[in-house]
Amino acid sequence: MVIGVFGIFGARLFQIQGLDASAYAAKAIQAGTAKNVVPAPRGEILDRNGVPLASSVDGLTLTANPRMTAANAPQIARLLVQKLGNRIDYFDTIDKLRTPKSQFVYLAHDVPAWTANKALAAVTKAGFTGVFDEKESLRTYPGGKLAANLIGYVNGVNKGVSGIEAQYNKALTGLDGSSTYEVSPTHQRIPMADSTVTKMVPGSNVTTTIDRDLQWYADQRLADAVKSSSSDWGLAITMDVKTCQIVQMSQAPTFDADKGTGMTNENTVSRAVQNVYEPGSVLKTVTMASLADQGKIAADSKIVVPSGIDVDGFHIGDYWEHGTIHLTAAGVIAKSSNLGTIVAASQMSSKTMYGYLRKFGFGQQTGVNLPGESQGILTNGAKWSKANHDTIAFGQGISVTAMQMMRADGAIANGGKICNPSVVSGVTSPSGKKTPVNTTPAHRIVSKQAAAAVTRMMEAVTAPDGTAPAAAIKGYRVAGKTGTAWRVDPATGRYIHGQNTVSFMGFAPADKPRFLTYIVLDKPYSNAGGGSTAGPVFHDIMSMALERFGVAPTGSKSPKVPQVW
Amino acid sequence: MSEQLARAVTVAPAPRFSTEGAKAAGLRLVRPVRSRARKAPFVVVVLTLLSIGLVGLVVMSTVLQAQSFQAASLHRTAASLQTQQQGLQREVEQLQSPSNVARRALVYGMVPNASPAFLRLSDGKVLGTPEAAVRGNNITRVSQ
Repeated sequence: MVIGVFGIFGARLFQIQGLDASAYAAKAIQAGTAKNVVPAPRGEILDRNGVPLASSVDGLTLTANPRMTAANAPQIARLLVQKLGNRIDYFDTIDKLRTPKSQFVYLAHDVPAWTANKALAAVTKAGFTGVFDEKESLRTYPGGKLAANLIGYVNGVNKGVSGIEAQYNKALTGLDGSSTYEVSPTHQRIPMADSTVTKMVPGSNVTTTIDRDLQWYADQRLADAVKSSSSDWGLAITMDVKTCQIVQMSQAPTFDADKGTGMTNENTVSRAVQNVYEPGSVLKTVTMASLADQGKIAADSKIVVPSGIDVDGFHIGDYWEHGTIHLTAAGVIAKSSNLGTIVAASQMSSKTMYGYLRKFGFGQQTGVNLPGESQGILTNGAKWSKANHDTIAFGQGISVTAMQMMRADGAIANGGKICNPSVVSGVTSPSGKKTPVNTTPAHRIVSKQAAAAVTRMMEAVTAPDGTAPAAAIKGYRVAGKTGTAWRVDPATGRYIHGQNTVSFMGFAPADKPRFLTYIVLDKPYSNAGGGSTAGPVFHDIMSMALERFGVAPTGSKSPKVPQVW
Repeated sequence: MSEQLARAVTVAPAPRFSTEGAKAAGLRLVRPVRSRARKAPFVVVVLTLLSIGLVGLVVMSTVLQAQSFQAASLHRTAASLQTQQQGLQREVEQLQSPSNVARRALVYGMVPNASPAFLRLSDGKVLGTPEAAVRGNNITRVSQ
C-alpha cells in the first residue's frame, strides 16, 4: 500500500517536473513578474530665456466601476466636481457612475496628478469605493493661450499635431524605458531576483526665439484690437531684422490647449504661415525697392499721378478723389497712391517685376520650418495681363502669407539682404548638449541704396501728414507702410465690396533697424483703414519690443523729403 | 620475532597467558595508539560556521526584505513628492506668468508704458522722449 501511495506521488511528480514543466514555469513567471513601463517625458518647449512654454507632467485618467459607484453616484460626483472643477460635468458624471451593465467607465482624461490625487483622496476619505486611476504623461501649456498657434498642441497619445509640437515631434519625443522584475504574490519586489531594466531616454528640449513677456503683451494687445475693430481674425508678428528670429507671433482669436478650449479649425490654424490673403498697399514697398534697385526711382523722384486709370475694362482709382496731382515717390508711399505706384511700376516689364517678387520670396515657402506652410499665389509674370501688372504693383492679384511679407520687408529693413525667418534657435538633448538650428546666411537681393531709398519713403508714412501718424513712436524714427486690401471671396474668387484686410508693416529705428512688426486685421468694420486700425497696435507692440530689448533711439532726425512737387 | 610468534601460536593453540611466557616469547605490552587530533573542537568549528552562515542568511534575507518594503515605501513617497513638486511648480509658473503679473499690476493702478525712453548711466543722458503713461490708451484688461 505504501508503495502504491508513493507510486501515485511519483507519477504526479513526473507529470509536473517532466511533462508540464515549461508550462508551469511560464505560469510561475507570469504570476511572479511585474513589468513597469517608465514613460519618457516629452521635451519642453522653451522661450528664448529658457522659460517653459510647454512642459510635461504626471497625469492621471480617472475611471470608475459603475457597479460599485451606482448607489452613491451623486455624492461621488459632487466630491469629484469639487476637486476637479470644470474638468467634468456634475450631471454627466452621475450618469457615468450609474452606467447600467458596465464595470468600467472613463470619468476624466488628462487630469494633472496633483489634482486627481486630491479627488481620489476625497472619495476614499468619504468611504466610497469604485473610483480608480490610470497613469499617463500629460502635456501642459503654462501660458494657456500664449503663442498657442506657434507652439501647437499634441493629440491623445502625446504626438504633436500642429505648430512646433508637430514640426519638432521627433526631437521632443523620448524613448520609453521599462523594468521587469520578480515580485511576491503581494506584488512586493523580491530582492536579488532576476530583473532587467531598459533605460528611459527623455525627449530633447526645443528652445524657441520667442520672448514670452513680449509675446503675452502682443497677444493681449492684438486680441483687444480684433475685438474693438470687430475683425474676423488678426495677426501680429515681430522679427529681429538682424537675425531674422521671430520674437513674437500672435494670433487672435486663438485656442487654449491647456484647458482644451477654443479648439476649432479657425482657431488652431496657424494663419501666419497657412493663411493666404492679398497684402494690398504694403506690397508697394517691394515694388519701390525693385525700381530703386534698378536705379529707376529715388525718394524724391517726381511722379505725375492721374485721376484714374482704365485698364482691361477695370477702372482703378485712389482711395481719395483727386485730379492729376504731382507726388514724389515718397509722397506716393506716404499717401498710399495706387495710381502713383502704377505709374512708377510701368518703368519695368512684367518679367522684371515677377523676377523681383520671386527674389523677395513670393510664391515660395519662407523656410521658417513650421508645418503646413503655404507658398501663396503668384502667377508667372509671362502670363500677366496689363491689369495684372498694374494691380500686383499695389498688392492686389497676388496672395501672400504674413510670414512671406515679413521676410520680404525684412530685407528692406536689413539693408537689402534677405534671410529666412526662424522660430527655433536650438535643440538641447537630455545630456545638455545644445544643437543650434541651421540657418541660411542672409543674401543680397537689392542694393543698400535701394533699401535706404525705400526706408526714406516709408518714414514719410508715419509723419504727421502720412497715412499712419498713429504708428509713430516719439523719439524714434519709424518706417512703415499701411495696407487696406480688398478681400477675396474664396467661393467665387471675386472681391467682396466693403470687406477689407487692413495691415501695417513697419520697422524701427529706421536709421538702424532692429525690429520689424507686422499687424494684419481681417474684415474689420467697413471704414477701418490700415493706418488708423492697425497703426496703433503696431505702435504699442513695437514700443514694447524696443523697451524690452533695450533698443535706444539713435537721436538722429528724419530727413525731410518733399511729398509733392 | 614474528617467526617465533607464529610458531608459538601454531605450537600451543590455547596457551594460558602469563607474563613470563610472553616475556620469554619476547612480547611486551604496548600503550594503545592515541590520535593527536581531538574531535570536539572540529565539530564545534563546523557547527559554528554552519550556524553563522544560516543565521547570516536569515538575517540578510530579512534585512533585504525589510529594505525592499522600505524601498517600495520610499518610491511611493518620491512619486507623491514629485507630484507635489509638479503641482507647486505649476502654481509658481501661474503666479509668475505675464498675464497674472499684468492682472495684479492693473489692479494696483499700473499701466503699460508705450513711450520707451532710456537713461544712459555713463553720462546721465535721457535717450528718447519720456512720457507719462496714461490709463486707458493701452491694454486695460487681461483676457489672454
